[in-house]
Parts: sequence; structure tokens; C-alpha cells
Amino acid sequence: MIEAYCLAALLSSVLTALLVWMLHRLRAAKTLGRHRAENTARIDTLTRDYERQSELLARALQEQRALELTSAQDQEGLAQQAARCDELSLTLKAALEDKDRWAYQAKQIADEAARLKSLAATFERWHEQMISLMTQNQDMHVKNQELSSIVRHVVIVSLNASIEAARAGTAGRGFAVVASEVRSLAARSEELSKSYRDSLHRNDLTTTTTFQDIQAGGKMITASLSSVEALANQFQAKLH
Amino acid sequence: MISDNAKGSIDGIFRKAAQSRLVLAAGDTCEIAAIPTNDAGLIPEAQVVVLTISSILFRLMLMLQFDEGADTRDYFFAEGSASTVQEIFSEQANLCCGAMNQELLRYFPDLGMSTPYVLNAHCIAHLEDLKPAYLASYAVTVNQAARIKATVCVCTHAPLDFVADLSALEESCGELELF
Amino acid sequence: MSKILVVDDSSTVRDEVAGFLKKNGLDVDTAVDGRDGLAKLKASPGIKLVISDVNMPNMDGLTMVEKIRGELANTSVNIIMLTTESSPAMKERGKAAGVKGWIVKPFKGDAVLETFRKLAG
Repeated sequence: MIEAYCLAALLSSVLTALLVWMLHRLRAAKTLGRHRAENTARIDTLTRDYERQSELLARALQEQRALELTSAQDQEGLAQQAARCDELSLTLKAALEDKDRWAYQAKQIADEAARLKSLAATFERWHEQMISLMTQNQDMHVKNQELSSIVRHVVIVSLNASIEAARAGTAGRGFAVVASEVRSLAARSEELSKSYRDSLHRNDLTTTTTFQDIQAGGKMITASLSSVEALANQFQAKLH
Repeated sequence: MISDNAKGSIDGIFRKAAQSRLVLAAGDTCEIAAIPTNDAGLIPEAQVVVLTISSILFRLMLMLQFDEGADTRDYFFAEGSASTVQEIFSEQANLCCGAMNQELLRYFPDLGMSTPYVLNAHCIAHLEDLKPAYLASYAVTVNQAARIKATVCVCTHAPLDFVADLSALEESCGELELF
Repeated sequence: MSKILVVDDSSTVRDEVAGFLKKNGLDVDTAVDGRDGLAKLKASPGIKLVISDVNMPNMDGLTMVEKIRGELANTSVNIIMLTTESSPAMKERGKAAGVKGWIVKPFKGDAVLETFRKLAG
């Protein structure tokens, strides 16, 4: 009976121990389970956080790369701008020098045009000479007319002489020949005088039209030079 | 070296100038008839007033012979004028040529005109010596009283071609343009 | 003493213009070309208005104007050109030389009488 009791007691102790142990294990399992669940949840949270942070980091890296790219482009752009600025500076400097040179040249053109216009005085000199030429021509006309009238007179005289010679009969024959010669000479003189008068008229026309052409041409040139002078002055004014 | 257009234009410009400057009063009539230059019936001993318009391309000579009769003289003679007949006719010719000059300026910006000079009408017979590209004569009768024979002679230095627009109203003349 | 000087080589024009102005009570003197005009202006300082042609022998009108403003140093006298010339280039030259106005011939007295009176002071 003690053995049975001892055995029962042992058994019950073992059973109790087992129970307790099972309970303990259960509780432990529960706690573990709970802990595991908690840890899983925490892992999940941490994983989620980690993923989120990774995403943020990736994005940040992307943005950084983009910024680096933009920065590089900007730098390139700046470099180009700086180069262009230098170019423009040089161009402006050259243009300013050109402007000064052009202003100087415009002034030279204006001055030259003004100087050439003084040539108008030369045309006036020619006008006086032309008047003197035409006066000489007039003289020649008058002298030619006088010659013409003398020749006509000679013709009349020789006619009279022929008549007288005829009246004188044979004695006047020699004289008649002379009178006839004189008449034919007079006729030739008359022809010459007419042709000379023609030449004088031709000369008058050519002299007058030539001179008028020079006079008018001179005015045309002076007018053109005035245009040039005015334009050059306007240009010069604009450059300042 | 002168195109038909240019010939027609010059003819038109002369007619317009004669109408506007040789006619002294607004209501007076003016007849312009073309006549052959050789047979222009110019009185040889009469006088002609000669003027020249010069351009880079050509020169144009205008010769006006005013009839010596009383009718013509009285038409152009202003009351109380102390001028000689020659001076009056020279000034009329100057005005007529001036009008042609103004019209031509629209097509040829560089033009110059001479002062008038009086020559013997005999000279017209020798115009061919100048080897003109264009020669035309006209008998102008103003108010059936004044008679003028006009000759237009053009010598060209280069081919001449232009078309004149004669429809344009004449620029006001006699008005003062203040600067 | 004359207030107005009319300069033209054509006696017809001198008669016409001076005659018209005199008829309207103005004091007028005349000259036959640029040189004469210059001399007459120098001799009569009372001249307030010069009416001048452009195309004249011995000295043309515009040269005369340039000398009036230059050598004579007279910048007060009013100068009007009366001429057949109408080219813009000529007018520019006139303007630059100190011309106050431009009339293209023929002369129409009534249109300009009042202005002339004012300019002659």
C-alpha cells in the first residue's frame, strides 16, 4: 500500500508536474505566441518603415542626381553665357570704335561734298567766258554782214562797169572782161559769205547748247552733292 | 536710244507745261499742233529763246520762237512793264521750261536747268548737227492771239525709257512754302 | 529806306514783283544778280526781307544766301526764294543755308502779300 501510495503520489506529482509543465509550456507558448505576434507585428512595422525609408532614400537619391544634372547644365549654361558676354564685350568695343570711325568718315564725306560744291564758282567763271565767246560770235556775224553788203555793192559796180564797157564798144572790151571777172569773184564771195554765215549759226547753236549743258549739268551736280552732304550730316548726327 | 514710251512722255510733258505756263489767264484757250521741224515755217531772222535741261542720261533743249506780231507781244506784255520784248519772252520760256523740269524731276532725281539765251532762228536748221535722239516741233496758239513755235530736242547719252504719269495734278505753284 | 530787296536777272520778274509790292505800299529795291544783291544788302542795313531767284549769272541765289549768312554775318534778314526750281535737293540746300521760304514761279502776289508784309516788319 505505501508503494501504491508512493506510486500514486509520484504519479500525481509527475502528473502535476506535467500539468504544471504543460501549463507552463502553454503559457510560455502563449506568451511566445504573443511575443511572436508582437515581434511579427513589430517586424512588419519595421519592414514597412524600412521600405518607406528605402523609397524615400531612392527618391532622394534620384532628386540628388537630377539636381546634379541640372547643376551641371546650369554651370555649362553659365560658362556659355560668360563666353557670350566676353564676345559681346569685344563686339561692342569694336562697334564703338567703328562708330567713331564712321562718324569721322561721315564728317569727311560732308566736308568733301561742301568743298566740291564750291566748284559752282567755276561755272560762274565759264558763264562770263561764254558771254565773251558769244559776243565775239556776234562780232563775226556783223562783220560777215558787212562783207556781204560790200560784195553786193561790188556786183552792182561791176554790172555798171560792164554796161559802160559795152557802150565804149571795142575800146571797152578789155575792161568788159575785167568787169566780168570781178562779177564772178563777187558771186563766189557771196557764196562764201553765205556759207560762213551758216557756219556762224552752227557755231552759235553748238556753243550755246554746250554751254547750257555745262551750266545745267553743274547745277545737277551741286544738287546731288547737297543731297550727299545732307545725308552724311544726318548720319553723323545719328551716330552721336 | 530712246524708247517710244519716252518719246510719248516727253511730248506729253511739253504739252502739259505749255498749257500751264504759256496760258496766262485761266479761261484762255490753247491749241498745240505738231508740225515738222524742217518745215516749221520759222522766220529765219526772228529770235528764239533756248533753254537746256541736263541729266546724267540725257539733255533736253527747248527752243521757243515767239511771233513778232503785236498780238503775241500784247498777250505777254504786262501793264507798266519796263522790260524789253526779248526779256519778256525769255522769262515766259524760262517758266515753260521750268514746268517741264519740275515734271521730269519726278522721274529723274538729278536734273539741272540752264538760264535762257536768245539766238537767231537760223540755228534751228542746224539741230541735226547735235545728232538728237528725238526732235519735235509744235505750233502753239494761245487765246487765238499769241503764236509760238516750239521745238523740243533730246540728245541721249544712254538708253532712255520712262513713262510719265500726266494725270497728276500740278503741284501748287506760286504758294509760299515756309521752312 | 527800303525794307524789301528783289533779286532776279530777269527785268520782267523784277518789274512784276517789285511793281506789285510797291503798288501795295511797300518800299522795294532791286538787284540784278547775286553779287549785286550782296552789295545792295551791305549798303542798306534796313532791308528786312530779300526775295531772290536761284538761277542768275555772276552769283546764283543760293550762293548769295550762304554769303549773306556767312561773310555778311546777317542772320536776321528774312530770305524767300522765288524760282522755277522745285527739286527737294535744292530746297534742302536752301533750308540749310538759312532760307525762310520757297515759292515756285510763277509769282502770285495776292497769295503771299500778307506774309511778305509781316516778314518785312
